[in-house]
Amino acid sequence: MNAIEIRNLTKSFRGLYALDHLNMTVPVGAIYGFIGENGSGKSTTEKLICGHLVPDEGEIKLFGRDYTDPGVRVRVGALIENAGCFPNSSVWDNLMMQAINLGLPNRDEEINRVLEIVRMEDSANIKFKSCSLGMKQRIGIAMALLGDPALLILDEPINGLDTDGMRIMREILIDITQKYGCTVLISSHLLGELEKIATHYGIIRQGKMIMELSAAELEGRARVFVSLKTKDMQGALAVLKAKFGNVRMEETYLRVYDVDDTETIVDCLMKNGHVVSEIHKNKIGLEEYYIELMSQKEGK
Amino acid sequence: MKHELRFESPSFGKRLKGMLGVDFYRLFHTPMYYIFLAIAALIPALILGTTGMTDPQTGVATAPLYTNAWNAIAADSPLYAFSNIGEYANMNMVFIFGGIMVSIFIGHDYKSGYVKQLFTTHAKKQDYMMSKTITCAFAMACMCVTYLLGAVVAGLLVGMEFSGNVGSIIIAILSKMVMSLGWASLYTFLNVIFRRYFGVSIASSFFFGTGLPIIAIGMILGNNLGSVLNIFLYGSSVYACLSATPLTLAVCLVCSAAWAVIYNVAGTQILSKCDVY
Repeated sequence: MNAIEIRNLTKSFRGLYALDHLNMTVPVGAIYGFIGENGSGKSTTEKLICGHLVPDEGEIKLFGRDYTDPGVRVRVGALIENAGCFPNSSVWDNLMMQAINLGLPNRDEEINRVLEIVRMEDSANIKFKSCSLGMKQRIGIAMALLGDPALLILDEPINGLDTDGMRIMREILIDITQKYGCTVLISSHLLGELEKIATHYGIIRQGKMIMELSAAELEGRARVFVSLKTKDMQGALAVLKAKFGNVRMEETYLRVYDVDDTETIVDCLMKNGHVVSEIHKNKIGLEEYYIELMSQKEGK
Repeated sequence: MKHELRFESPSFGKRLKGMLGVDFYRLFHTPMYYIFLAIAALIPALILGTTGMTDPQTGVATAPLYTNAWNAIAADSPLYAFSNIGEYANMNMVFIFGGIMVSIFIGHDYKSGYVKQLFTTHAKKQDYMMSKTITCAFAMACMCVTYLLGAVVAGLLVGMEFSGNVGSIIIAILSKMVMSLGWASLYTFLNVIFRRYFGVSIASSFFFGTGLPIIAIGMILGNNLGSVLNIFLYGSSVYACLSATPLTLAVCLVCSAAWAVIYNVAGTQILSKCDVY
């Protein structure tokens, strides 16, 4: 069973297609990194899954049920754009309202539990409007975590956070998925951060899903390369190009693609009178893979 | 706590209870509710306290709006078309201010983004309409009570007479309180239509709350033929006057409930077919 299964989902705004027959499959238990440029349709997809928007056509199933079924909706938590809290109410009151809405029996206990998860036990009485951006995002996650959700939908939860805020958020997300085992759909521009937690990826472009793959598949597709520095970079580039073919100058390094044998490279350069001052083995990460994929799609 | 993949559909009653719980929690935890209760008490107090005052410039006393303090609650007979402000200024004004209160209450759902939290979970659009209508009807009924208290206290302080049939007065007050349900449903409906435009929703609530469209028709029909206007919220609210009979209460009950159903169904349809925000 899949946590989310979307078929031919289409949504337009005043004649402009935000989603164009989108298909998407999120397995149960996955941390699904949803990637795409601005305006590609990530937030629209998430809002449709949450029932905030009405689709033009298509089908959305959550855990095998229609997405409007209250039985499945009660197990969905979301943080879309902002926490959706009343600014003049306290953090506690905001959480209490959601706990009442969900009909939770042990509300105080449950609120304390989610506040602990998001490391905000001491901030319950602060007014929401007095919280920092990072705190607001964490409160949004706490709201989404109320009532044992089986599916969490998080729209750009780490954007705009400082380094410390990002670290805390990453720890929280790892905690949630490891300890509580929910399926998480998370969109973000910060691919480096996403790569640290995601088990699956979906890449969307112009309202269409262009690729879905697991982290293991990405690993398999990721090209290896060796980056190095020498005194005469242009000379070394010519030598390596003649021997290995796919060599590029990237910023201050030379990159030799699809080769991970550093000894052969060093040998080759030494024989041609080049001294290697620095050399590393690397693998293309999610960010580079994404950029490369987008370039291919744009025909660059 | 590892979650289990069990999905039990909450019943309609459980969903509505949850939604009502949120709305009442919010109502009682927001200063706005208490401010509007105070406003409702101040309106009759200001009307009764200033009526017949001496103009400081001319030294001449203005014509009193009322001689009977109960006229601050309702007119003596159903006056769909009125000839002076005293015949208009009564407990029906609670519904004007109530409209503004409902607009602020519902508008904040959308402004804060809280509506997203509601609709992400199990709440259905129908639950939302019903819950807002019931909560706001309760708030407006409470405003009627504070209005009554304000009128009685101010009337006593000013030394006005309290004359009239006790039974009719009670029925008139109850009828107006019953009308809160219909008015609340209208305002909830208007706020759902104009959910993206906070200012427009307040202005529209104020406009319909004044009863101007019905008053305009009443002017054409005259007060004798005006009883056909009882099918409308403002008409029934006017019908709840100091000569009210049990029939008045029945008319108000039917009118209020019927419009509540109509506006709830229409609002649910709009919310279901349109994007939430």
